[in-house]
Amino acid sequence: MAGIFIFSEDPQLAQQLLTPALALKAASAQPLVALTACAETAQKLASLGADRVVVLKAASTTPEALAPAIAELLAKAQASVVLVGSTSSGRHLAAHLAAALKAGMTTDAKALAMVDGRLETQRILYAGLAVCDEVVALPAVATIPQRTFLPPGPAAQAGTVETLEVQADARVVVQSRTPVESEGVDITAAIKLVSVGRGFGKKEDLSLARDLAGALKAEIACTRGVAEDEHWLPIERYIGISGQTVKPELYLAVGLSGQVQHMVGCRESKVIVAVNKDEQAPIFEAADYGIVGDLYQVLPLLTVALKS
Amino acid sequence: MPKLLVCYKWVLNEQDIKIRPEDLSLDSSRAKGKISDFDRNAIEEASLIVEQQGGTVDALSYGTPAVKLSVKDALSRGPNRLLWVGDPGADDADALVIANVLAAAIRKAGPYDLILCGEGSSDMFYQQTPARLAALLGLPCVTFVSKMTLDGAVLKATRKLGECTEEVSVTGPAVVSVLSEINKPRIPSLKQVLGAAKKPSEELPIASLGLTPDELQPKAVRKSPKGFLMNRKNVVFKESDAAANVAKLVAALAAEGLR
Repeated sequence: MAGIFIFSEDPQLAQQLLTPALALKAASAQPLVALTACAETAQKLASLGADRVVVLKAASTTPEALAPAIAELLAKAQASVVLVGSTSSGRHLAAHLAAALKAGMTTDAKALAMVDGRLETQRILYAGLAVCDEVVALPAVATIPQRTFLPPGPAAQAGTVETLEVQADARVVVQSRTPVESEGVDITAAIKLVSVGRGFGKKEDLSLARDLAGALKAEIACTRGVAEDEHWLPIERYIGISGQTVKPELYLAVGLSGQVQHMVGCRESKVIVAVNKDEQAPIFEAADYGIVGDLYQVLPLLTVALKS
Repeated sequence: MPKLLVCYKWVLNEQDIKIRPEDLSLDSSRAKGKISDFDRNAIEEASLIVEQQGGTVDALSYGTPAVKLSVKDALSRGPNRLLWVGDPGADDADALVIANVLAAAIRKAGPYDLILCGEGSSDMFYQQTPARLAALLGLPCVTFVSKMTLDGAVLKATRKLGECTEEVSVTGPAVVSVLSEINKPRIPSLKQVLGAAKKPSEELPIASLGLTPDELQPKAVRKSPKGFLMNRKNVVFKESDAAANVAKLVAALAAEGLR
């Protein structure tokens, strides 16, 4: 078996994948091959340490449409490790590849290493309640989330770039593709966050949280329910297992109970503060400081006190 | 009339799992089972389709023998018939084994016009089963669906992919995974609960599925799950005087350099 392979349709994520791939290459003395559908980024991947970059050309180059062609290529090369960037499309692709290779797969590895001829990874279980190691026999597939690794520095010697014509899977027809409307706010970069849950009775009441955020110079974040069920705030502001992961200096959680699915996205914050009327809410176990009280009473007082 | 299949997983309710402080191991002795959250959306969507346009829904689950406890709950949510594979080995199954078992059961019980799954299970959240199933069965796969309509053999779906949405169409059969936002799963009525008792359910013994030992051998082995320990100060201000609580919090934030 030979070859550490990487793929991501996201150019930044593809570069980040090179970092763990280079470590696996060093540990197993195998070539590192980057697969991409994006000719513009091929040279960059070659300059950052990929021994070979294969640019896939096809009628459709979405990860889903390329899945059967990539699976065939990996089987032919007898790939030993396949790392895929964890976008939605990337997870779809990776699971297809794992099935085609009859391989084990770690979804969203936080860390990975080659130990005794197996891939050892770490990931979360039960929506973040627990972490566990996974030992995956080779060939092994893993998806890696955005920003898990920094991209590597330039390699001493650039790799080669080649182009390969492949057949796209045309069974699912994409009629249209629309970018999600974005405010362009990157809440993962915020130093302070005021995060709101469904303790707020209606959308208009979020102004209380905005006023508080103004006094703190904080951004607004929210729970999945606020973004996806109530549609009070855009999806890019929701924190949790299937949303954003943030590590601000201050995470001030208002009117949210602190379910593990939410907390997994913010538990590495430096200081966590909770405002909730239910003293039994799990958020207080996860908080450094908390106020038990009605947010409609506490927030205006807190905003005034912080401004003075 | 479409013949639908919906797959679901019977999982431990993560809210009932406690972390033992002495060694961070997981105590699930008091954890009750539940139908995995996103799978309820898949069951609901399949049931809505046949309630609106006719056809049948079979539900299929693979798990430990405890999966039998899910029969009534699953059938009260709409499906006409339930098939289950109960095997102690399921505790250690990885996504490869799960997909192999489900695919073998589908080959035995099928064919189906549409196979629905949730986005991922609420315990392991591998999110691999839909695409693995499709690959094993040689079917096209449409993942992360927030809206879908079935018109004869043609499925039209909206996929939500983080930075963009896609409108796709596929001429069946196909495997689909749905997002939680696609619907609000019903809370079964008394009538639906009573009706579930009359619906057929059938165990498919794992030995009847014709799987080789290698196909039942996990390739990804989970080792020593450890609880994630929240190490926080847990200072809670809970006097009846809200202004006093606020003053204490502001002082604490100032001490942390966060004012």
